[in-house]
Amino acid sequence: MEIIKTENLKKTYKDNGVPVNALRGINLIINKGEHVVIAGPSGSGKTTLLNLLGALDKPTEGRIFFKGEDFSLKTKKELSDFRLRNLGFVFQAYNLIPVLSATENIEFSLMLLGIPEKERRAKSLKLLEELEIADLAYKRPGEMSGGQQQRVAVARAIVNNPKLVLADEPTANLDSKTGALLLDLMDKMNVEKNITFIFSSHDQLVIERAKRLLLLKDGLINDQNN
Amino acid sequence: MLFKLAWRNIWRNKRRSFIVFISVIVGVNAMLFMDGMSNGMLSQILFNEISLNVSHIQIHKNGFTDNKMVQNYMPDYENVEKIIITNKSIRYYSKRIVTFGLLSSAANSTGIYLNGIEPENEQNVSRIKSSIIEGKYLSGNSGEIVIGKKLAEKLQVELGDKVVALANTSDGSIGSDVFRIVGIYKSPSSEFDKSYVYIPITNAQTMLNLQNKIHEFAIITNNYNSANIIRDKLRETLSGSYEVLSYEDLLPFVIIQLDMYKESLFVINLIISLALIFGIINSMLMSVFERIREIGVLMSIGMRNGKIFLMILIEAFTIGTAGTIIGVISGYLINIPFSTFGINLSVFAQSLESFAVGAILYPKLSVENFVMILLMIPLISILGALYPAYKAIKLEPVYAIRYI
Repeated sequence: MEIIKTENLKKTYKDNGVPVNALRGINLIINKGEHVVIAGPSGSGKTTLLNLLGALDKPTEGRIFFKGEDFSLKTKKELSDFRLRNLGFVFQAYNLIPVLSATENIEFSLMLLGIPEKERRAKSLKLLEELEIADLAYKRPGEMSGGQQQRVAVARAIVNNPKLVLADEPTANLDSKTGALLLDLMDKMNVEKNITFIFSSHDQLVIERAKRLLLLKDGLINDQNN
Repeated sequence: MLFKLAWRNIWRNKRRSFIVFISVIVGVNAMLFMDGMSNGMLSQILFNEISLNVSHIQIHKNGFTDNKMVQNYMPDYENVEKIIITNKSIRYYSKRIVTFGLLSSAANSTGIYLNGIEPENEQNVSRIKSSIIEGKYLSGNSGEIVIGKKLAEKLQVELGDKVVALANTSDGSIGSDVFRIVGIYKSPSSEFDKSYVYIPITNAQTMLNLQNKIHEFAIITNNYNSANIIRDKLRETLSGSYEVLSYEDLLPFVIIQLDMYKESLFVINLIISLALIFGIINSMLMSVFERIREIGVLMSIGMRNGKIFLMILIEAFTIGTAGTIIGVISGYLINIPFSTFGINLSVFAQSLESFAVGAILYPKLSVENFVMILLMIPLISILGALYPAYKAIKLEPVYAIRYI
């Protein structure tokens, strides 16, 4: 079942006034439950593509469809709601809210969805247990290691049962052992919860686990099914 | 959770929040102090003017205020007195003879307001008795006079000295009499002290050939705030031969002055508020710029712009409200000793006395002052946060999440 589809996706931005063609016509279909890795050298357009797929940025040309619905027709407010209900993000730098505890960070999107406090607390604590970090529930990001923070970030990304999780270089700031553990965790979520994962990475550890590898070079894609 | 997040954001940079908090407290205290001083000054001006001579309501023959001729005595004061006595809203009243005249000593002479008063009743409607600093108040005996300290200095007279009063009589001739100074008073108004003298009413009636006629009823009501209502009722009851005037009618210049003070106070409060707004804008902008990445993350996970906007307003509102509450409490506590013991402004005594304000100023705060500040400052805090909040929601999530 098709979850996301792009048609002739192009993105040009200006770097010091000079136009840079980050993406030069991406045609792509990703199905539900897939585990996709977008790989490529630095500056190849991985993050740009991920930002477009995550409705964080708008393409210069082309269209993106999420379950057949065109992104470009949505307002800013609708895109916010869309991200809240359908997407999860895992960032390279974890990007947890420093003044909130682990459980509060996880609960945040549930709060935005209007889920009652008791229910969201129970859900976030259950997820922390599943990710084997229940002891961190009431700790703030500043009191956690990088790996622990990224686990909380994964929990935050999947707590609202998103259809798609976008992970931008999730292991870049982690040592290989912690990175592997985190990838195990996301693989598990992919299999158990049938959540679609799209990674952008040039980390060999991530690329090796890809069930589908999209190689980006000079703004164009080379789809290599594993 | 939005409130929780906003609350914790406040504590993120304690020093900055503390500075804003303190500036709000200082601003609120400055406003309350200014309000207290102005209210105190305005009340003192009004109280002094009322208690020195004006009283709450005066009744005269029609046209007396515009033309204070001695012949303008009240045609039928006995009937007016009956109406006054039966009015339960009136607490005290006193009869007066009021005219212009000349007072001479061996050394000097000067123009005066000659007031013939009923010594017993007058002490209920004016504070002349309690303002006496030398000698005594009128006993009611013939030939006694009480004058102001400034006038005594001008005439170079002392207690026990003789002075001669001259004034037009009701038949157009000049009436005169010799008086012995039995008391010297000092009021908060130097201008008043220079010109108002008091003699027994019977002396004045004889000297001015008025028999038992009078010029004025000075009235004190149960509540000065209802003076205008009582005035209107008296006007209805009395025929058109009398003018009934409240202190607001009698002191138009003072009332305008009070309004001007209130307006200038509003401008001062506005300036303090503007300073606070800019402080809050600056602080909230710093707070937003420090959190660009975080705001980007909140946007990425689906937080609507409206909620981000609200979160920043809540932060400013919380600091502003907390600062206002503490400021109002501290302002109230600080005001207690000042309003009890007064602020000694004797350095400016001369200029204050010309405004009928004493050298000791008693700040006075009203519930209205507190309510206005409790409403205004939190609102100002929100206003100050509008621009930073706008800047926050104008961020593009794709750039914000990568902001270093």
